[in-house]
Amino acid sequence: MRLIIATFLTLALSGVAAELPPPAARAVDFLKDIEPIFARNCLKCHGADKQKGGYRLDRKATALTGGDNSAPNIVPGKSAESPLIHFVAGLDPDMKMPSKGDPLTAEQIGLLRAWIDQGAPWPENVTGNDPLDWWSLKPSARTAPANAATDGVNPIDTFIQVQLAGKGLAPSPEADARTLCRRLYFDLIGLPPTPEEVDAFVKDSSRAAYKALVDKLLASPHYGERWARHWLDIAHYADTHGFERDQRRDNAWRFRDWVIRALNADKPYNEFLREQIAGDALRPADPEAVIATGFLAAGPWDFVGQSETPSPVLKRLARADDLDDMVTQVMSAACGMTVNCARCHDHKLDPIPQREYFALCAVFAGVKRGERDVDAAEVRRRLDEKTRLQREMGALQVQLARMENHGLDLADIVGGGDGNGSGIKGAGVHVETGKRQDGALPRLTPKANVFVPVDGDFIDGVVLPNGEDAAGVPISTTGLKVRGIPKTGGEAWDAVRNGPINPQGTTKIGDVDFAAAGHSLLGLHANAAITFDLAPMRTALKSGTLRFRATVGYGGRPDPGETNADVRLFIDGEPAFVAERVGPKTGRLLVNLVLPESARFLTLMSTDGADGQIGFDQIFYGDPRISAAAPAPLTAAEKADIEPLKKRIEELGQQIKSLPEPAKVYAITTEQPPVVRVQHRGNPEDPRAEAAPGALSCVRGLGAQFGGNELTDAQRRIALAEWITAPANPLTRRVIVNRLWHHHFGAGLVDTPSDFGTGGGRPSHPELLDWLAEEFGARGWSLKAMHRLIVTSATYRQRSEAREAKAESIDGGNRLLWRMNPRRLDAESLRDAVLSVSGKLNGEMFGPGYRDFDYTEEYAPVYKYITPDRPELWRRSIYRFVVRTTPQQFMTALDCPNSANLTPARNITTTTLQSLALLNNDFMQKQAGYFAQRVEAESGGDVKAQGARAFALAFGRKPDAAELDSASALVKSHGLPQLCRMLLNTNEFVYVD
Amino acid sequence: MWTDPSRRQFLWQLGGGLGGVALTSMLSRDGLLAAEPVNPLAAKPPHFAPKAKAVIQIFCPGGLSHVDTWDYKPELERQHGQPFDAELGKQTFAGVAGNYAKSFWPFRQHGECGRWISDLFPGLARHVDEIAFIHSMQSKSALHGPAMFMMNSGFIRPGFPAMGSWVTYGLGSANENLPAFVVLPDPRGLPPGGVVNWGAGFLPAVHQGTVLETATGKAPFADLFPAQPVPANAERDGRDFLQKLNAAHAAARADSLLDARIASYELAARLQLSAPEAVDISAESDAMRALYTLEDADAGPFGRQCLLARRLVERGVRFVQIFCGAENTGSKKIRPNWDSHEDIVRDHGYWGRVLDTGASALLTDLRERGLLDSTLVICTSEFGRQPFMQGGQKGRDHNPGAFTAWLAGGGVKGGVGYGASDELGFKAELHPTYCYDLHATALHLLGLDHEKLSYYQNGIQRRLTDVHGEVIRELLA
Repeated sequence: MRLIIATFLTLALSGVAAELPPPAARAVDFLKDIEPIFARNCLKCHGADKQKGGYRLDRKATALTGGDNSAPNIVPGKSAESPLIHFVAGLDPDMKMPSKGDPLTAEQIGLLRAWIDQGAPWPENVTGNDPLDWWSLKPSARTAPANAATDGVNPIDTFIQVQLAGKGLAPSPEADARTLCRRLYFDLIGLPPTPEEVDAFVKDSSRAAYKALVDKLLASPHYGERWARHWLDIAHYADTHGFERDQRRDNAWRFRDWVIRALNADKPYNEFLREQIAGDALRPADPEAVIATGFLAAGPWDFVGQSETPSPVLKRLARADDLDDMVTQVMSAACGMTVNCARCHDHKLDPIPQREYFALCAVFAGVKRGERDVDAAEVRRRLDEKTRLQREMGALQVQLARMENHGLDLADIVGGGDGNGSGIKGAGVHVETGKRQDGALPRLTPKANVFVPVDGDFIDGVVLPNGEDAAGVPISTTGLKVRGIPKTGGEAWDAVRNGPINPQGTTKIGDVDFAAAGHSLLGLHANAAITFDLAPMRTALKSGTLRFRATVGYGGRPDPGETNADVRLFIDGEPAFVAERVGPKTGRLLVNLVLPESARFLTLMSTDGADGQIGFDQIFYGDPRISAAAPAPLTAAEKADIEPLKKRIEELGQQIKSLPEPAKVYAITTEQPPVVRVQHRGNPEDPRAEAAPGALSCVRGLGAQFGGNELTDAQRRIALAEWITAPANPLTRRVIVNRLWHHHFGAGLVDTPSDFGTGGGRPSHPELLDWLAEEFGARGWSLKAMHRLIVTSATYRQRSEAREAKAESIDGGNRLLWRMNPRRLDAESLRDAVLSVSGKLNGEMFGPGYRDFDYTEEYAPVYKYITPDRPELWRRSIYRFVVRTTPQQFMTALDCPNSANLTPARNITTTTLQSLALLNNDFMQKQAGYFAQRVEAESGGDVKAQGARAFALAFGRKPDAAELDSASALVKSHGLPQLCRMLLNTNEFVYVD
Repeated sequence: MWTDPSRRQFLWQLGGGLGGVALTSMLSRDGLLAAEPVNPLAAKPPHFAPKAKAVIQIFCPGGLSHVDTWDYKPELERQHGQPFDAELGKQTFAGVAGNYAKSFWPFRQHGECGRWISDLFPGLARHVDEIAFIHSMQSKSALHGPAMFMMNSGFIRPGFPAMGSWVTYGLGSANENLPAFVVLPDPRGLPPGGVVNWGAGFLPAVHQGTVLETATGKAPFADLFPAQPVPANAERDGRDFLQKLNAAHAAARADSLLDARIASYELAARLQLSAPEAVDISAESDAMRALYTLEDADAGPFGRQCLLARRLVERGVRFVQIFCGAENTGSKKIRPNWDSHEDIVRDHGYWGRVLDTGASALLTDLRERGLLDSTLVICTSEFGRQPFMQGGQKGRDHNPGAFTAWLAGGGVKGGVGYGASDELGFKAELHPTYCYDLHATALHLLGLDHEKLSYYQNGIQRRLTDVHGEVIRELLA
């Protein structure tokens, strides 16, 4: 393109200068003369928001170099040759600028020309903004709180109170003991306290008792269940793929359990992150570290786009979206950076160039979401154990088969077995290679009349027969040949199989389905022959004379047209059975051949019926068995052995069956990463420069480049994990302590918990945030230590009532924390609280999630929700099997987010449909009924006692006299369940002070 | 059974009695409420004077073939039977392209504008002077799920708010006694991608589409009434008790969030009154029943959805989305939506009659009631279909390269077309456009500037139109 423009310029140049307004005859000042012209006329389309034609005119670097078609648009020193001047002067009829609004005046063009002719000087830092001069990118500094000297004062309170005092505000008094107790329970474990737990704390709410309660709750296994929910929101965890075909991820839960366990164990946060990003690379033999990488796979995955579609364009797009999701999740969760904004162009607000976005993509380029074994060594052990048991069972089966004269199943032998059921159903022998073949095969054209030996005791080999060859068709390794068979088309289809051929029209002959249990089926498509070696069979069966029995049938479709096939059997190359023109009307062919002691080989052959066409020539042998022709009578000892033998075989079968399936987890599979290229304007079909793995250069002091493309997948992710958790990374610790603050107070010190960039909020208490971040590092990245620090502060223990008119007017949003924020229970806590109060909460921890839906297998599976009214559906909400595209509507009504999105902060809405759900949903009504049963059981028949107990369970307090009167009246008129139902709907139940 | 007369009586008692309905005003009179609570769906002023007040969007999932319906291609008739250059078709879904095939229904000119419509739509053809067509629509995906998401939310990935959610976020509701964004899925089931198609994404949950249950014997909205029946007086006394407790609790705390929750129970009671009335079509005249062919076994259910849409819009519902087709649930006798891979005559023939009957009745009805000027009707699909046969079959494959959407009413100029696909209908050629321009235009007609209607999410001021979108001025009256 540059070439074209240059040509245009050369040709037109002489005329051009004459057509242009003359340059201004004075020294121009960029800031005074030029920038205002750009700002008024150009930047709407070529500024921070839009870059039409890929051109951006508000920054020196891009203004002087950029543009899709005419770059550079500005040629310093040569205004008459600068495309920008041509465009604004209207010389190029296809590119008049500005494209909307008034054209520039001659004077303005003159100024631009003069500026360009004077070298287009563009002072650095024109806007005075150094993008790196941003609080979150600077190292965090540990500032001592102003009067930290005061003994026993939580430094958090000092920071908070200094800022309150600055506005003439004071903190609120401490909340009462009941409120504090309830607040701590919901906040730390997500469940309400029992009335007895409240009473105990109200009796002794000393500092020591408060600290003891905090320690008790942090040590409770429920702590992990509560706080894992917050982390899973950030990971947009769900138990299905999402997208059009929303299939199940039956083993995703192991990652959910890992988070719960890691939090309960207070795994240091840096290690918590490292394992989730690169656990499999750091400790491949540690199942827990492998499971941790479920984090990277937690988001949606487009099965159709990534796998099902044949279109490479769609596949590349789906994969680009997939990587984007992973990169976005990791960087926003750990660092609060919105790197995804740099996918199509440099980040508009933060100093993140597009190439660094793709450097991060390169970190994950070797990672794919998928099911994997949790423990490879364990899988091998299990496999060895299974093989050992199968061998033992096989030997016993041979023994039994001989005693009962079952004989040997030729289909099983074709499937790689010993003739007694150890073969693999569906497996077969490749006609061309003689090797084991599992998957389906298309049309084959191996050289005809070449006998291919097959490994294994009972099969001699296979051949594609063609009677055209006068020399005959070889049918054994000993050189036997058969002659007199018809000429064939010389083609074969699929393998000789232990089971139906792919695709087989029918597996039935008459009424018998030979694919059903208790039968066997040997599929032999024309043109092919297989020769069995009888010598080892005689040894196995301990009999000289043998007998071959089978039912032969046609397996093609019912209307194959003219096509048909021939069936031939040979004993040592001599024809023993022939049936020509076999088709759907042939019916049943019974084969019963005696194989004399002298015979060595039995050959089964299918040919194409001399029509040269193999279409639908599907011949199969039902229950093909070779057994002893005259079994020796059993001795008494042998007879006595039969039953124990059977029992032992059955035992072994049970043992094999009960071997646990190796544990799987939906996590990641890895490969050597392909080369990643910057995608121009985010378009996967427009790849440009290579992007080597790396991170963000705006975080100074840490190497942003990890190395070249030779780095392995493991090296890349370990490098990123180290970069993120490096003590010098100023983002990671700030982000997590802010998240903790957000969940404890309802709003973070930075109110955009996953965006610490220039588009996000600024910290309300920057020094406190830094102090917390440093304290966190000093305390070994212990989350529990930070919880303890925060919830023991006076700031946290304040009342939540908004009764201070002055404070309301100065800081109505409570950013300065002059009171505690009251909190609406989130969807999960509300559901858990209902179950807890009704007495039905099922405390079972861990394992596959509960499924409160009926599942129907379809192209796009159908998830139909049911009323969760069984104990196994009354587990804590963290164990809910989360369906991505069919959200649980009751939970959604309570603001449970869609797991398509990363959710750093829940929306809290108050809607009509939400109130209706709490009032009328079947689950709520049933639980209100159980709540009433519980109250009755615990308080007897007295209506007042019932009212008191119901209040105690729901609110952790006694009703006052008026409340008790109203409650009693309601119970007397309409029954206890109606009272319980209404209590579960009160603001007092749904809000935590 | 919400239609049960005793239930109605119960409701009126509830409305007439205290039942929470009158409580807010009573509380406020007694000084027990801190402030007038904020209804998240309260009507908000638009950015500029709107032409349309409401939207009815008819969505035809599966991929409606433009070359058999709205987009007349004489050249395709000439090329009929000629092989397609397979290399051009590498992005199609199933991959194998057969021969070019002309429309299975002849095209004719209609109306004063003389635009060409195929014989599949005789009813809609009579409305052609009211309709504005966009013939150069494209999608970024050839897969149902992502393309559905794109047409509904502007993004091929799930998790973004639907157009209806954006509209209610921008304008609120004109009737706080009904949901602002109502969805009527096909009675056969949900469309591809399921409920995510009308999800609120990251917008507050109040903006998600509320599914209208149209099966007889069911309440119109989930949880509208107690799952287990509760006697009317018990309900009334219970709600009184609840609101008294709430009022005392709120009085001690002075927090507007608590007041809003009190008010939501009042609104809930009002919704219980207004929703059953809104969907009760028993009072509709015989002429109306005939117009919407309610008794027709095939077209009747969709006609009923269209009639309900009109009733909802009449009552101030801001955005109604009707699905004309469901998810692909295996190939039955007739496909459950427009996804006509094997047999276009069979499947488009069936669905064409369904759409034509209901949609033309809707346009007629809206016009006769004087509602068409203030109601924007949009009809679209997630993509079109190919001008050639799929392999050796009698159907057409997906075509994200070109399709047609149309708008009517609500300030739209009738009888016009914008953009064009190439002479065969394979790719958009003149003014190629994505859903962004359609969305920008729809918002514009509602008085909303698509560049200003935004919501902060994880670092970005998100918009329905992402970073794209131009209002298509050629379609404005």
